[in-house]
Amino acid sequence: MKVLLVDDEKKFAMMLSKRLVLRGIDVDYVYTGEEALVMAGNSRYDVAILDVKMPGIGGIELKRKLSGLAPGMKFIFLTGHGSETDFEIGSAEAAYYLAKPLQIEKLIEILHEVTA
Amino acid sequence: MNSAIEFQNNEDLVFFGKVNASISHELKNILAIISEAAGLLNDLTELASKGQDFKLEMMKTCSQDIIEEIQRGFGTIKQMNTFSHSVDDPLKRVNLIEVLGLMINLAGFLSFAGKVRFDPPEESAPIILTCPWRLQNLIYQSLVYAFESVGPDGEIQVSLHPQKNGSARITFSGLGTKSARTFPVDQTIQIAASINAEIGMTGDSHVLDILVPQLVESMR
Repeated sequence: MKVLLVDDEKKFAMMLSKRLVLRGIDVDYVYTGEEALVMAGNSRYDVAILDVKMPGIGGIELKRKLSGLAPGMKFIFLTGHGSETDFEIGSAEAAYYLAKPLQIEKLIEILHEVTA
Repeated sequence: MNSAIEFQNNEDLVFFGKVNASISHELKNILAIISEAAGLLNDLTELASKGQDFKLEMMKTCSQDIIEEIQRGFGTIKQMNTFSHSVDDPLKRVNLIEVLGLMINLAGFLSFAGKVRFDPPEESAPIILTCPWRLQNLIYQSLVYAFESVGPDGEIQVSLHPQKNGSARITFSGLGTKSARTFPVDQTIQIAASINAEIGMTGDSHVLDILVPQLVESMR
């Protein structure tokens, strides 16, 4: 399984990716939607984990662009907001919508579920 | 009840909600980093206890990140506290440099926030008697528009110019053309009028001015 993690909170992205790697998941991480589009143009990813609120290209818009580049890619949204509206939009757009802080084992479970 | 006052009270609540939502987002991000750092520390100690290499440098980085994020959290909560207490007195003497600093920090939590250059005046800080809440709302709305106008990679400049009569001019310059809306709208102008302030774009639309009086005897 190859995962692309996109979050503008740099420390969060770096540490979450290390924890996923320790659990046997192949992860690339970037901090912006623009970088994610470049990465997705160069590599094939099974799942993208996207922060919803990011400067520039936000998670929802990024998901639509990545879907165009890689139609089979699955998506998990992350958010620090967690409002009802965010949840409705996020759930309609992606397989899963998770609020920060995360439970790593739950994330692993979801990653295996969406790629099964 | 006077409809103008009722409307402004609603605007006040909208402002309170928006700022609090952005603070809670910031705090969640901080907790998420602390959670991942603590989790990674736990992962590394688990691995070491099973005989794998003790990754000391990575553990030190995690500990340092936790300390830094806790400090960031304390700073955020202090700002939240100052903001919350700004409703305590409808009229209060405030230091404009402090009010601007607080609003710049709080607006900085927005996901689309750009960079802000703020050069406080070299002379003593302007102290004015005003409604802190409404003034903050006015400054926050101006910053939000300024960020929209330049995009997340842009930079704006905020300046404070004390006037000879004791009033002060707050200037937002370097504005761009990326915002899809016009500003200030009637509601913003009404909020300014409620504290006898004036808000408007200068001729070229790249500079936004707020003129704040030294004294507000009563609030509309």
